[in-house]
Amino acid sequence: MSSPTRAAPGLSAAVRAVLRRAAEVYRDSPTTATQLRGQIDRLDEPLRVAVAGKIKAGKSTLLNALVGEQIAPTDAGECTQVVTWYRDAASPRVTLMPRTGASRQLPLIRTDGRLEFDLRGSTPEEVDRLLVDWPSRSLRTTTLIDTPGIASLSTQISARSIALLAPDDRPSDADAVIYLMRHLHATDVRFLESFHDQAGAPAAVINTIAVLSRADEIGAGRLDAMVSARQVARRYRSEPKVRRLCQTVVAVAGLLAQTARTLRQSEFSALAELAQASRSELDSLLLSADRFVAAQSHPTLPAQTRNALVERFGLFGLRLATNLIRQGYREPAALTEELVRRSGLDELRTVLATQFTERRDVLKARSALLLVERTLREQPRAEAHELAGEVERILAGAHEFRELRLLAELRAPDLALSADARSDAERLLGGHGAAMPNRLGLEPDADPGSLREAVTAALARWQRRAQSPLSDRAATDRARVVVRSCEGMLARLSRDQVSS
Amino acid sequence: MSTVGPPGLDVVDRLIRLVEAGDRRDLLQRLAHTRRRLLDPTVRVLVVGEFKQGKSLLINALVDAHVCPVDDDIATALPTEVSYSKTPTATLVRGVDGASDAEITRVQLSLDELASYVSEAGNPADRQGLLRAEVGIPRQILADGLALVDTTGVGGLSSVHTTSTLAALPTADAVLLVSDASQEYSEPEIDFLRQAMKLCPNVACVLTKIDLYPQWRRISELDRVHLAGANVEADLLPVSSTLRLHAMRAEDKQLDDESGFPALVRYLHNAVAQADRLSRRSVAHDVFTVTDHLAVSLRTELQAQRDPEGGTALMAELEAAKSRAENLQRRTSRWQQTLSDGMTDLTADIEFDLRDRMRQVVRTGEAALEQADPHAIWEQFTEWLGQQLAAATSDNFVWANQRAQSIAQQVAVHFAEDGGELLPELRLGATPTTLDAVPELAAPHADDPKLVGKLLTGMRGSYGGMIMFGMLTMLAGAASMFNPVSLVAGLVLGGKTLRDDKHSRLKRQQAEAQMLLRRQIDDVTFHVSKECRDRLRQVQRLLRDHFSEVATELQRSLIESIQAAEKAAHTEDSQRQQRINRLNAELAQIDTVRQDARALLAAPGNRS
Repeated sequence: MSSPTRAAPGLSAAVRAVLRRAAEVYRDSPTTATQLRGQIDRLDEPLRVAVAGKIKAGKSTLLNALVGEQIAPTDAGECTQVVTWYRDAASPRVTLMPRTGASRQLPLIRTDGRLEFDLRGSTPEEVDRLLVDWPSRSLRTTTLIDTPGIASLSTQISARSIALLAPDDRPSDADAVIYLMRHLHATDVRFLESFHDQAGAPAAVINTIAVLSRADEIGAGRLDAMVSARQVARRYRSEPKVRRLCQTVVAVAGLLAQTARTLRQSEFSALAELAQASRSELDSLLLSADRFVAAQSHPTLPAQTRNALVERFGLFGLRLATNLIRQGYREPAALTEELVRRSGLDELRTVLATQFTERRDVLKARSALLLVERTLREQPRAEAHELAGEVERILAGAHEFRELRLLAELRAPDLALSADARSDAERLLGGHGAAMPNRLGLEPDADPGSLREAVTAALARWQRRAQSPLSDRAATDRARVVVRSCEGMLARLSRDQVSS
Repeated sequence: MSTVGPPGLDVVDRLIRLVEAGDRRDLLQRLAHTRRRLLDPTVRVLVVGEFKQGKSLLINALVDAHVCPVDDDIATALPTEVSYSKTPTATLVRGVDGASDAEITRVQLSLDELASYVSEAGNPADRQGLLRAEVGIPRQILADGLALVDTTGVGGLSSVHTTSTLAALPTADAVLLVSDASQEYSEPEIDFLRQAMKLCPNVACVLTKIDLYPQWRRISELDRVHLAGANVEADLLPVSSTLRLHAMRAEDKQLDDESGFPALVRYLHNAVAQADRLSRRSVAHDVFTVTDHLAVSLRTELQAQRDPEGGTALMAELEAAKSRAENLQRRTSRWQQTLSDGMTDLTADIEFDLRDRMRQVVRTGEAALEQADPHAIWEQFTEWLGQQLAAATSDNFVWANQRAQSIAQQVAVHFAEDGGELLPELRLGATPTTLDAVPELAAPHADDPKLVGKLLTGMRGSYGGMIMFGMLTMLAGAASMFNPVSLVAGLVLGGKTLRDDKHSRLKRQQAEAQMLLRRQIDDVTFHVSKECRDRLRQVQRLLRDHFSEVATELQRSLIESIQAAEKAAHTEDSQRQQRINRLNAELAQIDTVRQDARALLAAPGNRS
């Protein structure tokens, strides 16, 4: 099923035309023109999603979990020092893009599957970014961008992340952001806010998802830790301050997710061997990481294996995995599936699909228009006058952007709108996913008949609101946007019916 | 030695009786102060850190009781002081910061009820006007007067809370910085440590949750590197509160060792022992000084009685000493000059520093307002401003505190050099000079004392024969009365709201916002610098009063000595021997008190 926002030929075509004309206007300034033309290509490329957060929030680990391979280097200390792009390609390759000078290829070094970046004499300060080409199905629709931690001890490293996500001199390279946090800290709020400062940008809230990463640690690695973490995520979701800053908050145990998706047969056997011990033996063995790896603590498993296990799973992962095996998950595939589910990764992937992937054309169009707007503002040209009007017209007029703007508005706490109406509008505007069944609150496989029924009801509901003499001007305008969304869905249903 | 009350109390009480008998009431005040200090032997250890690092659980594991509420989500919102009592008690203290005792109310409640007040859930943003909670619990580890203070970590170290924590540091005996083993130190943590080291010489870093993180050894190494890089010399103690609690329940010695707690307990014991040594030393010192005062006239008379002919030389010396003591009381004396000049300079410097910092804030703030729509960023901006102002005032505060202490030290040295001591030759061989018997206090970083550590340790120890310990508590008391943060927090844009006029032009709005910013900073600068000036004046007055009092005591002792010597010349020969015997007996009495005081110095730290 194609969603209304996916099939936005009008918007995409208009944005493309604007970019082409802008490139024409700025043809005498090669850098700007190249940038603008690059943006045209970007419209056909995968969505760029940055993984951001404070140091040690587990950004690289989560990236690996999303890709399903252990490619990004992870380490106990501060690890990612330069912005690194991971994109799908036919063959693996690492390219270094320096701040000045020509890009050059780096040797492809892998240890235990992980990539190792040898900057070949360049310091992290001199590197603009690393580009990793990697054949992967998971990267086909999204290019993932790993960023250095913010508020890290070396201020320059965090400066590089901020430059990527909220640059002063050009629109953000990323179309959307997954923001990782361990708790909601004052600095997290400040950082999230910095995405929102771009003047004229419709609703940055729409392109940000917050992840409560390392979620297992919130409950100190107890078996019920994820229950606790989900509760925390739920509380954050309902907090007005957070609602204003991001779409939603999801709890994910990143390390477990990464390991589960890359589970090896040897690891499964070791876990199964562990699970044979009695309950109390296992409890005492898993009391602390030190105990688990101590020389004589297990009769058959060598200390080296145990060391590797705890590095890969963490105590929570080990506790959970052995427990699951005892409960009857005796096949690696079944265990993997359950661990991935328990880690919260499935939930995150669903959220990413509904919030980012289905909306990628709009998000990319937004990035493109922001670039043009900025260029026009910073390098004003007499002949660009008409172009500026066009950009403004699209930003203000395109229904897709109106939807996003209204969605952001709905998240403000002080709106005079009943809670029911608010969540109804949020859903219809695509706040819970842009696909039609999501908007109508139906199952993904709902038949056209029930879809039509739901749309018609919603349309009537909001038309009443739009026409109510009691509504003030702002409320009427809001209702009209929702009506328009409903009309769009109805039109699509009719079109689909005709074509089939 | 008496078993009731702390050691030394008995000595002080005996001395008080002697002083009363000898009719030297002027010395009583000093002894009363000593006695008060002895009766309140609390050793305060602040537990600080970013939130959700396991501070509360650490305290629970230390005392093996559920005294601080622990939750996966909700953070501690109210500072909790845990100390010894025979039966478990819990008290809520309500009032406003800096309020006098009369304005503070205390409510007793049960330990179970306490959780709802202390955690953020029960007491969001501390709306109930609570100052702190106090918990008493019968535990051996607390029996020596150790009090653990669980601070709020809400918002982390970078927020306004930091500054209020900083303001409490000068009154703390030790600080534990808690950070979990999930990651190495962050910038705010290192910044905090750097500042904390300047305010309290006894700082230890606790690495928690080592049960959960296999790589804790790597993290602790990285942390040590960061500490060394920041010139912070503090112990790093890796612990696991969970293992400790398990170990206590299972009475498993090996597990307890694995938890790393024995080292932490040792550290706390050392802190207590050090505070105890300090306290014994200062008690002994007070006793020595007062007995010196008592003895000087007796000895003078004794000498005069034994050798009536040699009286003239003695009298000359006494007269000279007396005139020196009188000089010390003049405003033109060197220590007075040092004090008033130092404080004048300091006030000017601190004010300049504050203005300079504020100017930076204005510049950055104006630049930010220049580039954005003030309405869109106003909330964020005011928050930022609050943080900047808090940071500026807290840095200023740390610096002022340090400088004030160094002035106090300088004044003390000049006072002592210019005759602020009883004449050493009058001590007549029989008793050693006051400080000979005092073992050198081990500095926290004995082998390579950093300037600051040295300064503070030196001050807490001794200077030129004067008593700095009580002085320091007084200074700290004066300092903590001034809490720059509550002041700033109260002022942040209070009443100044940005007019929401949708029709006015962006430029005008920006100009208006910048004007608000400047006015706000003017207000804060005015209030903070006034407060700072008042505080420094208070410190100056404290120092002046203290040293003037010492000078008066000195003068009085010398006058009495002179009178005693004169009296001796007129004693009839028949009574002379009797008088000598009497003097000897009195001196012997004083000497036993001194001996007992000396024993205090030698005894190992064991209060109970």
